[in-house]
Amino acid sequence: MQHLLDTLASGIHDSKNQLFVAESLIVASEAKHQIDLGKARYAIEAAADRLSRTLAAYRLMRCDVHLAVVPGIVSDLCAEVALAQQHHLAATGITLSVDCQVIDEWPLDRDLITDMLNNAIQNAGRFARRTIALSAVEQDGGLVFRVDDDGPGFSSLPPKMNTGLLVAERLAQLHVRHERQGHLRLGNDSPLGGARFELSLP
Amino acid sequence: MADYSKKRFLVIDDQPLAREALRTIAQTVGAFAVEFATNYQDAIYRIRNNVPDIILCDYVLGDGRSGQQLLEELRRFNLLPDETIFMMVTGEQSYEQVVSAVELVPDDYIIKPFSPDKLMLRLDRIMDKKDFFAAYYKEKRRQEFAQALAILQAGRDSEAGRPYRFETLRQTAEVQMASGQAESAEATYRSILENYNFPWARAGVARSLHQQNRLSEARQEIDRVVASTPHYFDASDVKASICMAQGEPEEAQKVLDAVAKKTPRNYQRKRLLAEAASLNGDTETARAALADVIANDSMPGAISAEDRLALARSHVAANDPISAEKVLVGLRESEVQNMNLGEQASYAALLAISSPGKGKPRFTGLRPALQSAELTATARLDVMRAALVLADNELADQQCEELMRGTDARKLFGAMRGLYSRHGREMDFRDIQHQVALKRIHHDADVGDEGIMPGSETATEREHALNCPG
Repeated sequence: MQHLLDTLASGIHDSKNQLFVAESLIVASEAKHQIDLGKARYAIEAAADRLSRTLAAYRLMRCDVHLAVVPGIVSDLCAEVALAQQHHLAATGITLSVDCQVIDEWPLDRDLITDMLNNAIQNAGRFARRTIALSAVEQDGGLVFRVDDDGPGFSSLPPKMNTGLLVAERLAQLHVRHERQGHLRLGNDSPLGGARFELSLP
Repeated sequence: MADYSKKRFLVIDDQPLAREALRTIAQTVGAFAVEFATNYQDAIYRIRNNVPDIILCDYVLGDGRSGQQLLEELRRFNLLPDETIFMMVTGEQSYEQVVSAVELVPDDYIIKPFSPDKLMLRLDRIMDKKDFFAAYYKEKRRQEFAQALAILQAGRDSEAGRPYRFETLRQTAEVQMASGQAESAEATYRSILENYNFPWARAGVARSLHQQNRLSEARQEIDRVVASTPHYFDASDVKASICMAQGEPEEAQKVLDAVAKKTPRNYQRKRLLAEAASLNGDTETARAALADVIANDSMPGAISAEDRLALARSHVAANDPISAEKVLVGLRESEVQNMNLGEQASYAALLAISSPGKGKPRFTGLRPALQSAELTATARLDVMRAALVLADNELADQQCEELMRGTDARKLFGAMRGLYSRHGREMDFRDIQHQVALKRIHHDADVGDEGIMPGSETATEREHALNCPG
């Protein structure tokens, strides 16, 4: 089994290296011809994210996930998510606003959390009419990220979970601190009128 | 947004396409000067000659080397100023595991593929952080530790320092360790642990406990780290050092053997393995590890006089005086002159054993100095060894007594006893051991509890502790 995991991981690693070469060639073309190929770059990064998420899902199924927890600056994390999504959403007429109220560092798995939030915003982007809001607040000694949209909301609650959400839920639970566990909540209580994705970390 | 046009970039990657890709991205963020290094050695050469402002280094460098190893080597030889940005670039998600565990981390890492915007965002953040710590870096470089700590304390209390709380504590603990304030360092690491159970912080607790000679507590902490993060190899080094200090070289060697196989080009670890193997009486492993270090640790200035002495020592222990003599005679006279007192004592002692004709006069000449000087434990053990061979019992017993009174008593106990028994003097060794224990009991009774034996509550227990190792 370890052999299979190594094979998968190394295949994904090689693919991501190739995707990086492709992205850099696009960047070079953009500079040379003064054009915007942001959509192509977005597709490349989304493909790479999808590969990583697949590997994470496989690891979760095998109960072989270890978080890599580092002190992360929450506002930096939000800024990165915004950078990855804002441009793409704007092209479809959706505005992404960011409101981060947390100044201190927080112990978290930066890359997994970033990926979860990217995924949540991508999901919201499929249903939102005009607006998505990403926010981060400190609440009861924990850190809460929210992604709200102004779409129709989930048709049923609890909603049917796709791979991304299932992975997110399990990864949230793996965040443990001071004997408290992270969790995920999906609801239709967004102040924008649509769905809410809420990720709480201890 | 910072201006990157005046910054000198160095891109380190063994794959030509990936190098080009990194250059393109760097140029897009505004870089004008982008240099390449194609492998590990090339990177070290370039950084030594002209330190860049920003290093983008791929994690996989080929030839069994990693970017992490390069980072550690650069820090070990002080080639990387704090002001230089070291950014690890990786397609491997597994590098996150490394970063979350180890103490020595790059300024940041970034996972491929990434856009120029994302790189710029990350670089801007690092610049902000470096600006915040700028005054501290200066004092640290000048080894003005009190000043450095004061700056960190002020930063910690400031509003601007809030996003850097963990980093400030980590730096504080490091400075406390470097300036010998092990107790304060322990408290700092513990305050980090109160917030989150970071492996590097727990390893820090273990190191500070080791420095305070609270060995069984140190061992307990480091065992937890090694068990929970087996890929954190530096923790194994810490564990091995603690095991050695506890007089358990066998366990130390076992731990190091396992990690050294996974990191065949980590020569600091090989040195540690050689030390454990020597204490453990496994002279062949010690000889092989040291020969590997001397042949392959290729950084200029990496091979010290102490390395050559260690190799000679391992030959002596393996009863191979010819090889030992060859190593010692191979040292130039100027190198010998430049040695510190302890190394000179070791040199004279090892030469006296391996080549009495050449070495004995030098050793005899040094004898008065050896009797009165404050020597390191390693040097004392060499002097003791030579004195036993030359049947200079007075000198041997004096060194033995000093060692038994010192903080390395447990560590060297087995080796000392082995040497005495090889010369048929086991009973004399027991006498010295007994005398030292008695003196300690009287001393403690006179001046109160200042004994070095950890965890011993009473004088009798202390005597017992001294009898325990080996």
